[in-house]
Amino acid sequence: MVKVFIYPINSLILADLVERFGHKPLTMMSQIREKVTSLSLDSPPINITPEDPKLGLKYAAIEVPAGVRGRMALIGPLIEQTEAAIIVENPPTDFGCVGCNRTNELTKYLIRSKGVPVLEVKYPDSDEEARDFVNKIAAFLESLPKEKTETEEKAKEEESAEKEDKE
Amino acid sequence: MTETKKEEITKYIVISSDKVLPSDAAMKIYESEFPVTVKETCFGLIVSGAKDDVQTVVEKIRQLDKNHIFVKDRGFPPGDERRCRASRGGGPRPGFHFLREEVGILPAIGAALDELEAKESIKEKGRTKCRLKASDLKKVIEEELAR
Amino acid sequence: MSAEESSLVKIALVSCGSEYAGVQPEFEEAAAKVNAKFIYPEIDVAFVDTIGRDFGLEVASGDLRLMMARAKAVVEGITNADGVFITTCFRCAEGAIVRNEVRRYIHEHSNIPVISYSFTESTSAGTLLTRLEALTTIVRRRHLLTREIQTGLTAGIDSGSTTTKAVIMRDNKIIGKGWVPTTKVLESAEEAYSIALKEAGVSREEIQALGTTGYGRFLIGNSFKAQLIQEEITVNSKGAVYLADKQKGNATVIDIGGMDNKAISVQDGIPGMFTMGGICAGASGRFFEMIAKRLGVDITELGDLAVKGMHENVSMNSYCIVFGTQSLVNSLAKGATPEDVAAAACYSVVEQIYEQQLQEVDVKEPLILVGGSSLIAGVPKALGELLKIDVLVPENSHLIGAVGAALLVSGFVEE
Repeated sequence: MVKVFIYPINSLILADLVERFGHKPLTMMSQIREKVTSLSLDSPPINITPEDPKLGLKYAAIEVPAGVRGRMALIGPLIEQTEAAIIVENPPTDFGCVGCNRTNELTKYLIRSKGVPVLEVKYPDSDEEARDFVNKIAAFLESLPKEKTETEEKAKEEESAEKEDKE
Repeated sequence: MTETKKEEITKYIVISSDKVLPSDAAMKIYESEFPVTVKETCFGLIVSGAKDDVQTVVEKIRQLDKNHIFVKDRGFPPGDERRCRASRGGGPRPGFHFLREEVGILPAIGAALDELEAKESIKEKGRTKCRLKASDLKKVIEEELAR
Repeated sequence: MSAEESSLVKIALVSCGSEYAGVQPEFEEAAAKVNAKFIYPEIDVAFVDTIGRDFGLEVASGDLRLMMARAKAVVEGITNADGVFITTCFRCAEGAIVRNEVRRYIHEHSNIPVISYSFTESTSAGTLLTRLEALTTIVRRRHLLTREIQTGLTAGIDSGSTTTKAVIMRDNKIIGKGWVPTTKVLESAEEAYSIALKEAGVSREEIQALGTTGYGRFLIGNSFKAQLIQEEITVNSKGAVYLADKQKGNATVIDIGGMDNKAISVQDGIPGMFTMGGICAGASGRFFEMIAKRLGVDITELGDLAVKGMHENVSMNSYCIVFGTQSLVNSLAKGATPEDVAAAACYSVVEQIYEQQLQEVDVKEPLILVGGSSLIAGVPKALGELLKIDVLVPENSHLIGAVGAALLVSGFVEE
């Protein structure tokens, strides 16, 4: 199992496919969760405080707008964990955490220059393209190392045992 | 502010299935007696609760029609005031728009997963544009003739 | 305060990046202080796909397209908003283009008041307060802002950062004036007010209504039990068009204060777009004070000196109050005349206002220059040369805030 960075970083389809094929998607949702469930923070709506754009200085210089650095404070730690990545080109309606194109450009650049396996695919516009999209992603994910950690193996065993019990 | 324990997570289950309705899936969760919160939405369900419980429940639901039920994490717990449409004063949360777009192509993604599962040999069609389906071509001919 | 004036104002927040820069709570705090609430205009997602073409401005960032779609929703009445606050990250060029065009669009297609601002992670609720106060005032007190004639016996006090001004007005005429340097806010206000009352020959008890404005407006307003405590954007717009007798139609007001500057686009006496400077003192009255001191002349003589000089004869390498002054002093050493140096100082200030503030405001004639620095004759001359238009400096232009406050508060006399 490898940690797979996905772009767009909030994508349902990508997060689902990565998990479906046995890997761990690195998503914005988990970062947001960490923020919004932290009881020590009170900076609604997503608990980003003026400290975050400062943390973002690790990824972008001070002359880069605060909104980019604030987003990078969330995305940067994911990039650091990245072992493989799937980048989807021209995704539709990019708002919120992916609403700033400067951030998106920087994110993709940092991923591409990291030297990990990267799959770049186009967002599908038709059934045929969707098939191609799924096949390419599936092939890519299957090419990544699959070995499981001990705890995961254990969880899997328990789950199948439970299934048998019910059946 | 919504109280959230450390190990609590929330997942989105998006149902794009002919066989399973969101209400069926919700019922299945209620029957399973896992201590999770379920909220039906226009796309499927939002399941919230302890991490292990949510993961188990979500996997069970996915197995109801695994190529047509999709799952992703959700940062906010359901109904969180900070993101709630009602308390925030109109307008969907930003992620909603992209989710809606993605939901639109889920039938195609599901069909592709079905094919992949059936191990159909997918011919590499190269970079050229795909051919029109015979049924679609028929439609075009009919429309043209009707003009 | 009437029910209408205390009612909640719904401000559509049309923004990019604020939630990710950590400033959203500051926005909310500033809004709460003026009893306003931010709303997020509902849009149809299909709207966003075509908005670039509809709007004529195609940008790469989704949140900026969302801003355009939200602005359209407000203009078309899909979302019911009393005012609009447009804001994007400071230093984002793409954001600045959208911010300006969206503001222009709302301004041209609706009567909804709109303000804009670019933020950094350090933007505080305090910085936003004056802006949101002006916005909510336009919403709540439109009837007050339509007032064109001062009635009764009223007073206005403008507690500025450098000087405190007071005027007494009776039946549409200024009958007493006070102008003192600001030392301690309350004491200076007391002094200016006393001078004005004395000149007017009236007692404090006879004053039917008092209005306060400027930095110290809350402190002096509460202490003097003012009927109207109002930020300077609204008051100065009104005061400027009143003094210049340009109450109808478009006007642009530029106020060069002791510490900050305002450029306000006014329509029928009501402020529309405006910008507030104030990051650097090199573009303020304080700079003129320093130059006058270095030239060994009184501040009141600097203007006449500047009118006789040629700014082109002096090279200024910096707008900074420290380095700019240094440049001017060096020029003197190289043989530049005091007249040229005074002219260069005036040009430097107006050039900064042009570069930093007027870019965001529609400059429509008449251009009314107010504030203490407007009395330095070289300033309107330099501004006129730079913008290639005639600059109007009304009589008593330095008392703008106090006159505006006395005029507006006369609305409370009849009430």
